[in-house]
Amino acid sequence: MICSGLLAGCGGNVKLAAPTIPEPLLEQINMSVGVRMPEDFEHFVHEEEIYGQQSWSIDLGRSNAALFEQLFAFMFANVVILGPEDDPVLMPIDALIEPSIDAFEFSTPEQSNTEAFAVWIRYRLKVYDTEGKLVSNWPVAAYGKSQTTTLGDSDALRNAAILAMRDAAALMIMKFDNVTRISSLAGGASQPRSPLIPRQQSTEAGEQAATTAPEGASNE
Amino acid sequence: MSNRVIAIRVSAVLAAALLGSGCITSTVIDARTSNTGIGENESVVIMAKSYHLGNETERKYIRCIEDKLGGGRDGLNVIPHEQFVDSLFPWFEPRTAPAETKNLAKLMDRPGVSEAIAAQGVRYIVWLDGDTDRVAGGGSLSCAAGPGGGGCFGFAWWQKDADYDASVWDLRELESSGTVSTDVSGTSFMPALVIPLPLIARTQARACKTLADQLHSFIVQEEST
Repeated sequence: MICSGLLAGCGGNVKLAAPTIPEPLLEQINMSVGVRMPEDFEHFVHEEEIYGQQSWSIDLGRSNAALFEQLFAFMFANVVILGPEDDPVLMPIDALIEPSIDAFEFSTPEQSNTEAFAVWIRYRLKVYDTEGKLVSNWPVAAYGKSQTTTLGDSDALRNAAILAMRDAAALMIMKFDNVTRISSLAGGASQPRSPLIPRQQSTEAGEQAATTAPEGASNE
Repeated sequence: MSNRVIAIRVSAVLAAALLGSGCITSTVIDARTSNTGIGENESVVIMAKSYHLGNETERKYIRCIEDKLGGGRDGLNVIPHEQFVDSLFPWFEPRTAPAETKNLAKLMDRPGVSEAIAAQGVRYIVWLDGDTDRVAGGGSLSCAAGPGGGGCFGFAWWQKDADYDASVWDLRELESSGTVSTDVSGTSFMPALVIPLPLIARTQARACKTLADQLHSFIVQEEST
């Protein structure tokens, strides 16, 4: 009870609460994007048995979904989270972003011969234009490292995972537009052909951009 | 020998062990490149150099320096590093933090950065680099227990080295003010004759105190007029 109540994980079991990233200092991109999360972003569990040591189960829960929801809300003027049944062509968006996770890896202090846990997360970001054409496919490699503490290994591993997510967020804020050129798609928002049921309310600026953009406008 | 005498002797040995400590040698040096000084409304941030660059400065060491610099009657205004990093996200993350002072001007031009720094009154950033390592050890110590009691016999020792460098950046002048370095070596002993008597050298704690004291002197030096 002490383990589950205080540490939310004990021994080889680690459970992450959804991380909170600080409000970044950046210039928001004035465009409307749709975001389609993969199913495993809502409940991602990494299990690994280290030879000669204990087995680990790292439950990220919906941490990945929470990370990208927060991040894109900071980065873009208007964000619409698409459900599995939503057709992006019918949405008033300039671009569609599909994040996914390619790999999750970690090392223990015994493996690295240090006093720290390290976590590597490789995300992939696919960006599509309004016609559904893939315009960018960007792998994002993030890294977090945390020293063991008196609270135990679970706490250090959990902290390393959060730092890796934060590292990914920092990298995306810095490089997203340079790598994907997503801002060049601004103004290409299509008019919805049927009533929308967005999961996230549009901002006023985003609504204006979406409604004033001519259908089929160029990416300039 | 009465039980009372034995109890007094055991207590005396334990007290000696608790009061005693291992051997510590320490050096601290600074190299100044510009004048410093700090105003009443100005503050300092203690940061660790990025682990992306292989640095392994311990979080508890950073906190110790923060506490020592900020404590006491002459304590400086110290902004907790987590608060500073969050307020400037993402520009002081391990991946993005400036590695050289020549990058500061570009950083200050980013939206909101100079305002966030000014709002907290941050005049100096101190970048810590280094860690505490166990570098040697030896001896033999064994313990046993039986129906009639138990005890330990032998002698063990170990040595730790704490090497830390602190680079002081002046955010008003956008230049490096210099560096302060400390090198502390401590050897701990544990002789055991029935009862182990740990004589612990608090190497990292000494490294914290020596560096913090020198950093304080380095920063508060009056600016030349």
